[in-house]
Amino acid sequence: MNTLRPGAPFQHSGKDVAQLMQTLLYALLPGIFCSLWFFGYGILINIVLAILFALFAEAVVLRLRGKHIFLHLSDKSVLVTAVLFAVAIPPGSPWWLTAIGIVFAVVIAKHLYGGLGQNPFNPAMCGYAMLLLAFPLEMTSWHVPGEVLNGPLTVDSLGIPTTTTERQLISPLSWTAFQQSALLAFPFAVSNTVQLQEFIDGLVLATPLIEFKMAGHSALLAARDSGASLFARGSETAWEIINIGYLLGGLFLLYKRIISWHIPLAIIATVLAVSALMYAPGSVAVYGTPYLHLFGSATMIGAFFIATDPVSAATTKSGKIIYGIIIGVSIYAIRVWGSYLDSIAFAVLFGNFCAPVLDQYCRPRIFGHGLRRHSRPAVISERPAKP
Amino acid sequence: MSALNWISSKLFAGDTVYARHTYGGIRPQSFKQHSLRSRIMSTPIPAQLTIPVGAADGGTITQLVAVGEQVLKYQKLASIQLNRDGCSEVFAHAPTSGVIAEIKSARVADHRIQQQLCLLLTTDGHDDALVVEPSYDPVNLNSAEIVDIIREAGIIGMGGAGFPSADKLDSAFNSAIDILIINATECEPYITADESLIRERAKKTVLGAELLQRACSATRCVFAIEESKRDAIEALTKALQADTEVASSCELVIIPTKYPAGSENLLIHCVTGIEVPSGEYPAQSGVLMLNSGTAYAVCEAVVQGKPCISRITTLCGETLQTPKNFEVLIGTSANFLFDLCGIDNSVAHRSIVGGPLMGRELNADDAVIYKTTNCLIAAGPADIPMPAEERACIRCGFCADVCPVRLLPQQLLAFSKSSDTDALVEHGLFDCIECGACDYVCPSHIALVSTYKDSKACIEARQQEVDRSAYWQQRFQYRQYRLKKDKDQSLARKSANKTPAPKLEKKATPAPLPNGQDFFSKEKASAEIAAAVARVKARREAKTRVNGESHAAPKDDPK
Repeated sequence: MNTLRPGAPFQHSGKDVAQLMQTLLYALLPGIFCSLWFFGYGILINIVLAILFALFAEAVVLRLRGKHIFLHLSDKSVLVTAVLFAVAIPPGSPWWLTAIGIVFAVVIAKHLYGGLGQNPFNPAMCGYAMLLLAFPLEMTSWHVPGEVLNGPLTVDSLGIPTTTTERQLISPLSWTAFQQSALLAFPFAVSNTVQLQEFIDGLVLATPLIEFKMAGHSALLAARDSGASLFARGSETAWEIINIGYLLGGLFLLYKRIISWHIPLAIIATVLAVSALMYAPGSVAVYGTPYLHLFGSATMIGAFFIATDPVSAATTKSGKIIYGIIIGVSIYAIRVWGSYLDSIAFAVLFGNFCAPVLDQYCRPRIFGHGLRRHSRPAVISERPAKP
Repeated sequence: MSALNWISSKLFAGDTVYARHTYGGIRPQSFKQHSLRSRIMSTPIPAQLTIPVGAADGGTITQLVAVGEQVLKYQKLASIQLNRDGCSEVFAHAPTSGVIAEIKSARVADHRIQQQLCLLLTTDGHDDALVVEPSYDPVNLNSAEIVDIIREAGIIGMGGAGFPSADKLDSAFNSAIDILIINATECEPYITADESLIRERAKKTVLGAELLQRACSATRCVFAIEESKRDAIEALTKALQADTEVASSCELVIIPTKYPAGSENLLIHCVTGIEVPSGEYPAQSGVLMLNSGTAYAVCEAVVQGKPCISRITTLCGETLQTPKNFEVLIGTSANFLFDLCGIDNSVAHRSIVGGPLMGRELNADDAVIYKTTNCLIAAGPADIPMPAEERACIRCGFCADVCPVRLLPQQLLAFSKSSDTDALVEHGLFDCIECGACDYVCPSHIALVSTYKDSKACIEARQQEVDRSAYWQQRFQYRQYRLKKDKDQSLARKSANKTPAPKLEKKATPAPLPNGQDFFSKEKASAEIAAAVARVKARREAKTRVNGESHAAPKDDPK
């Protein structure tokens, strides 16, 4: 179906959307690896499930829309949506939660608005927000394999499991942890619901609740002070390390010029400024330190990977900066005064709402327009005297 | 401009000025080294020349020779009165001696014009020339004389736009010109015509620039050249320093190597910091820009008396064995030149006139060289890769980053697709210079420039429609008004007839004139007619006299 270009230019830089998306996926790797290290296989299972469902949903919709399936699948944008979604939802989510979210993201948030390039909202965040509203309990359960019950499960005559057995810390990357994560994703694999319930209760809930996170000081600093290893796989230091991972990925994207600096810098600077302004050590209200606002939650992935989604973001330079400021303020406001786990999704969606207006009013001055009349600048240099 | 480049070119070029950086732009691979390996070559005289004499966008052609007539080199063949605003006539000259065989429409290798009326010249190989009169004292010519020589020599903008140079200089008389910029930028890949010209004939180019400076009475004259053109910069620096014939006031400004730095208004901004307001001519801002090829042609015309019968054209492309620059006679066909460069006919090639970013694809290789043809590319698959499949716009904004006039191509694309005319105009569609930088970087491989061209054509057509309907509406309304007026008048006349007023009738009869003549006497009528004829005659004579004078010396009387 290759057609000749209708006219000039005949040369091309060789950049390609698929290549951009692929680089974006590579840039996500450090953060994903940190998550894997700290929270176990749950995130990997999320990613695999999300990709499978997303590809399936995309292929079906493309077929229904009468589009070229392989051409559109090959742009890899759906992979980025799937991975961002999978990273956002809690590890240890059941398979149907992932499926509902990603199908909503791909079919409703993306294709019902016209497919790639037409969606006004970030699909991954739409899926996430929908799940958060529809399944609040599942979306707040961060099951992290970290312990197993040591000893046989015993059920007393009333059917209540006994809790006398000892717990033992295990590595999140061990085989047992994998089994646990798999069971969480596919709960039908266990026939005994009581057993499952007991099993789930036995897992650590690494709930990233704001009150919990913002109350403390940096876990990394605490770990350093107490002489513990930073990579000890305790979920306390996990968030900070993961954020550093995403920060590295984001810097890689900046280096590769896949994203511009405007949105991430505006978001980070705004969050930093607002949290520094509101931070009052020793006060009753817990606002959290600026450091924790940047590294204690999902700020980095939000700033570098989610808010920079070009389709739904503002497109002009000044518009991008205002867009970033809006998202930064929203992140802080929802996080501190709102009642949700974290605020990236809603903040980004709110920013998406504002993007068209920003595009309309934050336009650069076109060359040769809006000039003051008769403003002839001085000559650039004096002519060198001839010998 | 990297620090190293900057230092090295500083060492290299001596007393040079570096221009300010401009917005956007791309740095495509240049491919210029291939055609720069050899010197400028002249071609053998082809058996037939097809000399374009008419422009496609209208104009009146006056033929100065007949079919079958023997012509000499440098002889005027035709003059074209262009329809464009502010254009006087452009002459076409015979590039060599021969017989005019035919007048026909033929393909022309030009950016815009595809077909032109051409004179077919069967050459005789003798190259008999008219005796040209070199100007023995070019230093003391005044500006009007220089402009006249340029007009007689048929010189038009050699960079590609093809605006008659004499008219451009004429337009400068209405506004004081501070600075004349000689555009030697040549920022598009492949093209090396200007670079090789300056490398080998810098002195004449500088002389031409000085003549042009005198012609437009500019205070300063600046050569703008890209910093990557080391040889040309060196040659130009030497020429500027060595020039002792005329008190040279030319300067050299080195501009960053970036496409599209050579676009007229962008280069003016780069060199002077003046931003020419949208919709105005640079002359209104006190700047005039001419191509270095034009400067060379002016030098030839003024100093040697040779009209513009040849130009330097780059022949390049993967399928040519020896890409090079030719000094080629106007009217030579592309085929002839491709063969001279040893084209590999086993590989399919696409012929492009102009550069690969703003050029036009030729439908056939029999197109002929015009005065604006700066480059011919016989492109193989490595030059022009197969375009990838177009994907959806993801609004990545790469296009906006490279747009030199700060448009938002991604928004323009969306508005083009939804045919939102108002938004397109508001977002500056008509400020688009069609440089193709947005296309070049688009990761979705969208043909943006073609879309914008279509949109422009659409909007212009619609505007014409609107104008036409407004015109006819006005005509219709006037007709209605006239009919109503007639009706009212007839009604009034009828009512007047019904009540005849004897006093009025008396007034209508003329009173006898005091000298006793009748009001309608035969003698008086014939005398009046004779007086009117004499008046008209006098006016006609006066008109022709003014015309003649304006041809001779139009500059002495700036209106």
